[in-house]
Amino acid sequence: MKTKIIVALLTAGVLCAGQQALAHHAFAAEYDSEKPVTLTGTLSKMEWVNPHGWIYMDVKQPDGTVQKWTIESSGPGPMSRRGLKKTDFVAGMPLVVKGYQGKQKPTLANGRTLVLADGRSFYIGSVGGPNDGADKQ
Amino acid sequence: MPSILPALEWLEGLAWTTAIRESNLGYPIMETSHVACIVAFAGLVMVMDLRFVGLAFAHTPLTRIQRPLFRWQMAWFFLSSATGLLLFVVDPLRYYGNIFFRVKLVLLALAGLNALGFHLATFRSVARWDEDRLVPATARLAGAASLLLWSAIIVSGRLIAYNWFD
Amino acid sequence: MSQAYRESLWLFAVTQALHLVAVSGFVGAILIVDLGLLGWGPARQSRAGIARSAQRILLWTGPAVLVTGIPQFTTNALRYYASPVFAIKMGLLAAALVFTVTLRRRVAAADGDRMPSWVPKAVGAISLALWMGVTIGGRWIGFAE
Repeated sequence: MKTKIIVALLTAGVLCAGQQALAHHAFAAEYDSEKPVTLTGTLSKMEWVNPHGWIYMDVKQPDGTVQKWTIESSGPGPMSRRGLKKTDFVAGMPLVVKGYQGKQKPTLANGRTLVLADGRSFYIGSVGGPNDGADKQ
Repeated sequence: MPSILPALEWLEGLAWTTAIRESNLGYPIMETSHVACIVAFAGLVMVMDLRFVGLAFAHTPLTRIQRPLFRWQMAWFFLSSATGLLLFVVDPLRYYGNIFFRVKLVLLALAGLNALGFHLATFRSVARWDEDRLVPATARLAGAASLLLWSAIIVSGRLIAYNWFD
Repeated sequence: MSQAYRESLWLFAVTQALHLVAVSGFVGAILIVDLGLLGWGPARQSRAGIARSAQRILLWTGPAVLVTGIPQFTTNALRYYASPVFAIKMGLLAAALVFTVTLRRRVAAADGDRMPSWVPKAVGAISLALWMGVTIGGRWIGFAE
């Protein structure tokens, strides 16, 4: 029985080696921790739903075109606990979102920080992410 | 064939389903209950299946395991299904389009057929081979199929969270 | 190899899903004995044999649970460290492990006639509560940020 435990621990150790950016949704496979983005634009729609919220925003580009971004946020529970309300999101309102760009989908991002027009700033990240814990406010 | 989508949209628009979908605690409680019930149900089934395939409880007659566990398996299956149905109804459009959800439903049907087929056929003669360490081949096959199917059901259920194919 | 693992969405997701399968197997082996202790499961004369087999199942599924669970834990270690839910889960796990390898093992293997009837029932109930608590706490970690 002891050998079984030792083998299990060794296997676990091997699997652990170099897994810095894995998260419960494999953050590193969906989002690029080397590509932080700061998106300034207007809110198109906010899906205040479980298990993750989704922020849809229009981001005006330097050349005048508008890019439509989809941002994954945490669910209603964590957001409420940090002081956000569903009513804080009004279509058309200006907002700033900081996060990490998606790997396969360039206009997808994993949101970490939200800044509202009145200057209030909220952490909207989910469990996991780059330098996990370090970017928590 | 009439589309089911209008019905799903109606469900999604209901006040109480919306409330749960947007809740702080309601959804987490429902989903956690669903997972806990599945773990208990599938756990009891898989452990019983080990007797069928001859990997465990070899010295215990099969019915001594199967009979007392049956009511608990059914109770937890009922609860798993009830919480599962609630989860679906609260966000129907999301699950309707999710391939892993559809695969899970198909696998559930297959698991049910496997169990039903076994009960109607091979299980009838159980008194004859109840004490055998190695039960008849058809029973072993049903047990192995059950182990594989329920593992696959759990895996596809967990993968529902990944909307890679939307 | 770890690079491939990190980049592979599939590998991580399937590992996480297999963690659930292993947890189910583990909990099933716990439940079959606990139900027996509570008087709701297999008949008393089968209990000792069932407990022995169940213990073997625990020894196989337990490491499987650990191996598939650790990838989820390592990357979130900083956040988990601060999470009260994680602390509760770990506390329950420690209690459950100690309880299972000491008191519960003795009672499950013993002859039921040699002790007052409330002892196996209490042991079964406590074990059930502890292990289901670990399972529920494990899932709840994802919700309690």
